[in-house]
Amino acid sequence: MQPRDAFAGPVRHVYVHVPFCAARCDYCDFYSEVVPLRRAEGGAPEPAKPAASAPLDRFVDAVSTEWELERAAHEVHGVRTLYFGGGTPALLGVGRLERLYQAFAAQLTAHAEVTVETNPDEADEAFAVWAARRDVRISLGVQSFLPRMRAALGRRPAADPSAAVRRLRAAGVRDISVDLIHGIPGQTADDVDHDLAVLADLAPDHVSWYELDVVPGTPLARRHPQVPSDDERAALYRQVVRGLERLGYRWYEVSNFARPGRRARHNVAYWRARPYLGLGPGAVSTVGGRRWRDAADVADYVAALDPSPRDLPSPQDLSSPRDPSSPREPSPPPREVESLGRETLARERLMLAARCGSAVPLADVRPVLDPGAVAPLVAAGLLSLHSGRIRVTRKGRYVGDEVCVRLFRA
Amino acid sequence: MLPFAVAMTDLTHIRNFSIIAHIDHGKSTLADRILEMTGTVAERDMKEQLLDKMELERERGITIKSQAVRIAYTARDGQTYQLNLIDTPGHVDFTYEVSRSLAACEAAVLLVDATQGVEAQTVANAYLAIDNDLEIIPVLNKIDLPAADVAEAELELHELTGASHEEILLVSAKTGEGVVDVLEAVVGRAPAPSGDPAAPARALIFDSEYDQYRGVIAYVRVVDGHFARRQLIRMMGTGQQAEVEELGFFGPDMKPAERLETGEVGYIITGVKDVAHVRVGDTVTDARRPAGEALPGYKVVRPMVFTGLFPTEGDKFEDLRDALEKLKLNDAALSYEPESSSALGFGFRCGFLGLLHMDIVRERLEREHDLELITTLPNVEFHVYLTDGTLQVVRNPAEMPDAGRIERVEEPFVSASVIVPSDYVGAVMELCQGRRAEFVDMKYLSPHRVEMHYRLPLGEIVLDFFDQLKSKTRGYASLDYEFWGYRESDLVKLEIVLAGQPVDALSLIVPRERAHARGRMLVEKLRQKIPRQLFEVPIQAAIGNRVIARETIKAKRKDVLAKCYGGDITRKRKLLEKQKEGKKRMKQLGVVEVPQEAFLAVLELDAGDQSR
Ligand SMILES: Nc1nc2c(ncn2[C@@H]2O[C@H](COP(=O)(O)OP(=O)(O)O)[C@@H](O)[C@H]2O)c(=O)[nH]1
Ligand code: SF4
Ligand SMILES: [Mg+2]
Repeated sequence: MQPRDAFAGPVRHVYVHVPFCAARCDYCDFYSEVVPLRRAEGGAPEPAKPAASAPLDRFVDAVSTEWELERAAHEVHGVRTLYFGGGTPALLGVGRLERLYQAFAAQLTAHAEVTVETNPDEADEAFAVWAARRDVRISLGVQSFLPRMRAALGRRPAADPSAAVRRLRAAGVRDISVDLIHGIPGQTADDVDHDLAVLADLAPDHVSWYELDVVPGTPLARRHPQVPSDDERAALYRQVVRGLERLGYRWYEVSNFARPGRRARHNVAYWRARPYLGLGPGAVSTVGGRRWRDAADVADYVAALDPSPRDLPSPQDLSSPRDPSSPREPSPPPREVESLGRETLARERLMLAARCGSAVPLADVRPVLDPGAVAPLVAAGLLSLHSGRIRVTRKGRYVGDEVCVRLFRA
Repeated sequence: MLPFAVAMTDLTHIRNFSIIAHIDHGKSTLADRILEMTGTVAERDMKEQLLDKMELERERGITIKSQAVRIAYTARDGQTYQLNLIDTPGHVDFTYEVSRSLAACEAAVLLVDATQGVEAQTVANAYLAIDNDLEIIPVLNKIDLPAADVAEAELELHELTGASHEEILLVSAKTGEGVVDVLEAVVGRAPAPSGDPAAPARALIFDSEYDQYRGVIAYVRVVDGHFARRQLIRMMGTGQQAEVEELGFFGPDMKPAERLETGEVGYIITGVKDVAHVRVGDTVTDARRPAGEALPGYKVVRPMVFTGLFPTEGDKFEDLRDALEKLKLNDAALSYEPESSSALGFGFRCGFLGLLHMDIVRERLEREHDLELITTLPNVEFHVYLTDGTLQVVRNPAEMPDAGRIERVEEPFVSASVIVPSDYVGAVMELCQGRRAEFVDMKYLSPHRVEMHYRLPLGEIVLDFFDQLKSKTRGYASLDYEFWGYRESDLVKLEIVLAGQPVDALSLIVPRERAHARGRMLVEKLRQKIPRQLFEVPIQAAIGNRVIARETIKAKRKDVLAKCYGGDITRKRKLLEKQKEGKKRMKQLGVVEVPQEAFLAVLELDAGDQSR
């Protein structure tokens, strides 16, 4: 059997980065722009100034255009998973969300998984109804059910997250995932137990529970927060894993837990090193040996993909028709490209598989593997080796980075 | 052009002298001034510490290697003299260099910093000069400084050399004040060389240097007869014959000449590449008209301190060998033999004169040869007498035989002299007591300064004794020591066992009464230095099979980045790759990854351990 290369084959997974938020959270290092909101009486939130809605419309058009360009440039088969991440995609409002959805609808397979991220604030009635109608999976950014913990993260005070989950359920949304964080400054085992108890009550289909990563440069990092010690964080992590397993979730990736049949198929595609396209400013794509990132600037992004009449040359300019820049055609936004050699791909394969404990044939990763590293890891119960395939065990998953580093050939 | 570069100088107009001093008392500065004032070096070429050729010497402000330079000096009597000045190192590690240089001289300028007074190497060097029958010209330096205490320093110099008030010169090497008087004293008080120009040629090799293109450059002092270009010469000790390719003198760069005459100092190049054939201390003679008797040579210098040097990257062993070979060409006192360690791989057990010497060699290896090295704990050479009556020489603690086979262990002792203001006598005594030192005697150099003599194990000195001495006497004490002899001690081998595996590179030989304390501190230090691993790592200190201290490094419980989605893969992979790269700086001992710093833990242990 030929070893299977990472990220090879036709594209079946698409990510769309929607870089708008109602406010920035102190711990976040995603690219997003702030769009101030005004909430209409009982209706959908709308940008506070009408002028602010034009960029959102142009953004939706630009993504649709990029998608067309990408489909022409790559072998794209039926799209099995489509993920609107952010930022806060729900901020677009249901009208634009529907328009965006329709740009992809024709390419979606029959049982495609379509996910939209939202915060409890934006998960209003209208959104819930739309999500249920499109049978969309919702990923809800809760971070903690305790307002005190959300404040420690520097997250704007939000509507009650539990209410948002109930609202979505009531509207008929069938697949809900909740995002949580552990290792928050001041967080105790009791705080985590509280979140677990709320989860037991809400019973979402899926939970992503991350350890807080204090990313240098974020406002949170500048506050030099007192996060729990290494040992305390290791204990909280285990508490999270055990607690969720007791509730019937399966620990299928470092930070992801699902009820049977409810894994995030889109994310699983990354961890299986399947090729994917990322649309939108800051989004990353990987197809075969090539990875690129669209410039993380919404203005540049829109300007490249949607040259509006304002940008068209004036009549005087038209007198010199040889000017290559006119008239302007939609073109891909500025990109940063990385080419991935075979060894790099093999290392990524190993690294991603380690997160889920999936088996990797030794033959596929041999060139990047330190052959002497396998036996001690197996002996320590961190790795298993069966019929020529290695797999990082549950015990190994907690220390998966170090296991990979040990496995890599120097 | 210098007059004697072409014309021959008669014996009565030659003076060969050294400047000897305690480190930092101003030898190099005085030499600079002399070169400048005599026009030996044009002003535009003048740079500080001119005779310190090595980059390392300049940077550290220490002289490591002797230098010889020929100076033309027109004295107050109107005559022009040829002065050969030999600059010498001032650190105790390099005393042998001084003694060799002195053998090529008739006089020594004994330089004393007037702000410091007589120090340990002043005394040691003065005795070397007296042993060599040299005329001593006592000089007090740094009189420009307000802190100079001329009266006190003069008294001490008088005690040491018997010199009268009139004989002691006062100078400032910095400003140049009084420097001419030094030159006048050299001309007036130092004897001219006493060799026989008509006798068969003889010259003493007092130093050598290796040049990769020209082979060995021998530094010589002609004692009898003369040497000329194309002459066939013979080394009397080794029997090596060769033709003189080039000879000349240092001015201060090498200046070729036609002949080297009786009494002159210069160099000879024969094209011989093998330093072993041109030994320092050997006598050069005319092969066709050989002298009957060789000149008295020198004691072969013996390394006193040993340490393992290992490349951090395993494949650099051959590079290290080449580099050591090259350094050895210019450093007779350096010794090395291959050593293999289960912990550190292949390297060399190297012998040095002392810690400064070791430090310099290591720095040159790293800097000039681009190597990264791990150094094991320095130790002395132990003589282990076995129950079967044989003697085993142990330079590496890992090679210590089992206790059951040992009849007794002897270690080298030195006799040390410490010079210190009388206020600090108590502090020195306290320090020495903790070092298994035996008090010999004590004498007053002046009402305020004392010279104390001790006999103590060299092993107690090699690590941090000097630093401790300095810190306990607020920098006032100076130290000199020389090998005294071997003596029995109650010593044991302390072994470090990491995850069940003894780590040879971390074992050490210690006095039995200190083994427990050392063992405990060492395992504690290692626990701090070794990061948590995927596996639990027990650290034990043991004597034989008896574990005397134990610590455990707990296994890592979590090491995984929380998020890794499509946009994170590159960043995350690079992170892991970087971590892998970082592991190159770790040594793999079984399953345990040990950072290089851990091997230095043993060193720090001594520095931090003030309670002993
Ligand atoms: N003020 C003053 N400083 C001096 C004098 N002679 C030497 N020094 C300084 O003392 C230090 C040691 O001098 P150096 O010649 O390197 O000493 P060496 O170790 O004996 O060669 C240097 O910083 C010199 O500049 C002097 O006469 N006066
Ligand atoms: S809402 Fe989400 S994307 Fe926006 S700043 Fe907060 S955490 Fe970041
Ligand atoms: Mg000097």
